[in-house]
Amino acid sequence: MAQMPKRVKHRKCQRRRIKGNATRGNRVTFGDFGLQTTEGGWISAATIEAGRIAAQQYLRNEGQLYIRIFPHKPITSIPLETRMGKGKGEPDYWAAVVKPGTILYEIGGVTEEAARLCFARLAHKLPVRVRMARRRSA
Amino acid sequence: MAEVLQVDNRDWTGKRRVRRQRAAGRIPAVLYGHGQEVVHLSAATADLAAAVRHGSQVVDLAGAVKETALIKEIQWDTFGQEMLHVDLARVSADERVAVTVALELRGDAPGIKQGGVVDQPVHEIEIECPAAAVTASLEVNINSLELDQSITVGELELPQGASLLVDADMVVVQCSEPAPELDEEEGEPAPAEPEVIGAKKEEGEGEES
Repeated sequence: MAQMPKRVKHRKCQRRRIKGNATRGNRVTFGDFGLQTTEGGWISAATIEAGRIAAQQYLRNEGQLYIRIFPHKPITSIPLETRMGKGKGEPDYWAAVVKPGTILYEIGGVTEEAARLCFARLAHKLPVRVRMARRRSA
Repeated sequence: MAEVLQVDNRDWTGKRRVRRQRAAGRIPAVLYGHGQEVVHLSAATADLAAAVRHGSQVVDLAGAVKETALIKEIQWDTFGQEMLHVDLARVSADERVAVTVALELRGDAPGIKQGGVVDQPVHEIEIECPAAAVTASLEVNINSLELDQSITVGELELPQGASLLVDADMVVVQCSEPAPELDEEEGEPAPAEPEVIGAKKEEGEGEES
């Protein structure tokens, strides 16, 4: 089921620009391998869920999958064939804002080859370019 | 035997010159500690990358200075691919230093054949040991890890003269049954929209004080 916040302060928010690179959430922390975005963008809750299903169907109860992003941003849209004006549209879906370098998913407990194949399946679902990152000790 | 790292004295500072030097294959470094003066150094990117790849934490500096140093901190770029800067701290061979050591799982847990999943909540621990005995990683043997069993930090084999700086009861690796997948039809249906904090409730929705 697609994720969304339980409580919010405001129903709608402005679009805003995605500037700079990720300085947080850009290291593999929980698993052994991570899927790291190389460009910024919005990743909808449905896309995050599609990626999770694609990865878990491949893993089949082996290893652990971690989702590192959460859709905090409400995205609004206006209905089709509506004249311009009349105010901002209604919330349509929820999205996670990601900056270049953000780790989207992590996998632990599997071999590197299995993680690579799993991420290759998962990457097809995503609207951003990604690369595989590896855990590095501090 | 620590890895040897060739270093040069560095008189270039500032982001523009540092960027040029990085592009030319030199990484800025700084050496400090033992109450002596701070020395600005630079090292070849390839040499430093090799030392990091081999898991060296203590290096013998050669060239501009001849000392033993602990790689205290490495700054990486956003993607964690290129090194930006290295902090080196002076150490002597018999000095006790606090280092972070990676934990590597070895073997196959029999619990996996019983339907379990191996979970490693802790990937590195802090230990204190003589600088000469610093190791890159500690091996955790999971050949006897059955279902619903765990291995704690206290059960690990540490290098000679090393002591733990973390709680000995901390679980390093465990084998447990996989969490059941949540079925969408189970449980309460999710609300279409989240609750808005501070929003006035409509009449008839229930009264609150």
